[in-house]
Amino acid sequence: MSRTVNVVRMQLINKQTFVWVPLLVLGSAFAISLAIYAILASSGLPGPFYGGGSQAPLWVLFFVGVSSLTLTFPFSQAMSVTRREFFLGTLLAAAMCAALLAVVFAVGGMIEEATNGWGVNGYFFALDWVVERGPLGAAFFYFVLAMLIFTLGFWSATLYKRFGALLLTVVWVGIGVLLLIAIWAITRFELWGDVISTLAGLGAVGFAAWGLAVTVVLAAISYLTLRRTVP
Amino acid sequence: MTTGTPVIEVQHLTKRYRDTLAVDDVSFTIEKDTIYGLLGRNGAGKTTVMSILTAQNFATSGDVRVFGMHPYENAKVLSRMCFVRESQKYPDDALPRHAFASARLFFPNWDQEFAERLIDEFQLPMKRRIKKLSRGQLSAVGVIIGLAARAEITFFDEPYLGLDAVARQIFYDRLLEDYAEHPRTVILSSHLIDEVSNLIERVLVIDRGRIVMNESTDAVRDRAANIVGDARAVDAFVAGREVIHRETLGTVASVTVLGRLTADDRAQLAAAGLDVAPVSLQQLIVRTTQHAAESSPAASGTIPADIDEGALR
Repeated sequence: MSRTVNVVRMQLINKQTFVWVPLLVLGSAFAISLAIYAILASSGLPGPFYGGGSQAPLWVLFFVGVSSLTLTFPFSQAMSVTRREFFLGTLLAAAMCAALLAVVFAVGGMIEEATNGWGVNGYFFALDWVVERGPLGAAFFYFVLAMLIFTLGFWSATLYKRFGALLLTVVWVGIGVLLLIAIWAITRFELWGDVISTLAGLGAVGFAAWGLAVTVVLAAISYLTLRRTVP
Repeated sequence: MTTGTPVIEVQHLTKRYRDTLAVDDVSFTIEKDTIYGLLGRNGAGKTTVMSILTAQNFATSGDVRVFGMHPYENAKVLSRMCFVRESQKYPDDALPRHAFASARLFFPNWDQEFAERLIDEFQLPMKRRIKKLSRGQLSAVGVIIGLAARAEITFFDEPYLGLDAVARQIFYDRLLEDYAEHPRTVILSSHLIDEVSNLIERVLVIDRGRIVMNESTDAVRDRAANIVGDARAVDAFVAGREVIHRETLGTVASVTVLGRLTADDRAQLAAAGLDVAPVSLQQLIVRTTQHAAESSPAASGTIPADIDEGALR
């Protein structure tokens, strides 16, 4: 167990990757969004303003997931760490990072609501759909989203490392084709109304619960793949 | 020092990549508290064997036991071993101090003071990212981890790549000094056979995926001798023996012959006024691997079972 905790420490020894870069991207995206809201407000628009900038730090985690495997996994092997210890420790480090982001988002959302969108009616964290179940629901939503995106990166990198670029490309193209077929089917059978009402019915928390299930499945596949991966 | 207690036991190990046989039905044991030289040409299978022993890679068939246990996913075994590859990857944007801080977490015998002394001696820039280091500095990071980790079994895979002569000497000196104080098993793979020949106690020669020699360095050296003296007297002595190397300067010749010298031979040499000088380990190994190649009909073909004995005769 202590060696698994040491893997967390190893992943966090250089705090730049897991902590500072995501926070820096978050801070920058927030500052830019706020500046845009301020410009809109000062030109007399009433708002409320919403933006997608809060996604930015989440996508950084995709690359954190990739590099934690492609570079840190071979290093962990040189540190005589088992694949299991590496896997658990790395996901634990990611969970800590995701929890940090979730707290920042939830607290940010509360401040936003308390200040009526920073006084300019602009919202970065507190998207209506996300905060309707309160700050805890929002934190859960952002935590799962961060973990899902990290795991997507980690899972892709594991497939790449074990089976090569061709298989990874085939898998992603396959996923793209499946999504396309789904969109075609929904459009063809005019089901968009149902889809949207189902998603709205799920709410952020229900949506996150499904995301968590996908994350667990991807993580399990990654572990099974990693067990026979050569650094 | 050779103890006779095996720490690694390998039985019928085979590793097949898609179309090549990297390791071909190999069996050997590695003894406790001994420095081994794992010698062989590029692509002979040195790195593959070391990665399988440390469970970084997987055997196609065969059995590997380290401290009597299987190493795969076995933290009890792995934590007592250290294998830093020649092409080791480090975390993105990591500085040397990050790598050493990690090693300190995972190797129970890690000696921080020793690591710092080595950093100083290798003049390793601590504030430069590992990916920006020169080839030699990169090798130094691996060497420092391998030495300061003081693992019970340490593998050094071509540790000197890019290191200058001074740095290589520092590595050899510190390894020997520290080994004297903290005996452990060291497996050093190298091309620079003569350079490490004073370091290694046993030679393990691998050629085309087969172990062709696993003997004490002294025994190997005894397999041949350098006869030096008057050219005519030397020629008379070596007549009928297998000569692997000959040098002459004026009337003086230095000839390397295979075969252990008997007491009779030595008496004969003394009577003829000839000297016996030690043989270069490198010459012997090169000779051995050439022999093995000649007696092997095809690239992946089988080598006769008696090659271990017959190679040098």
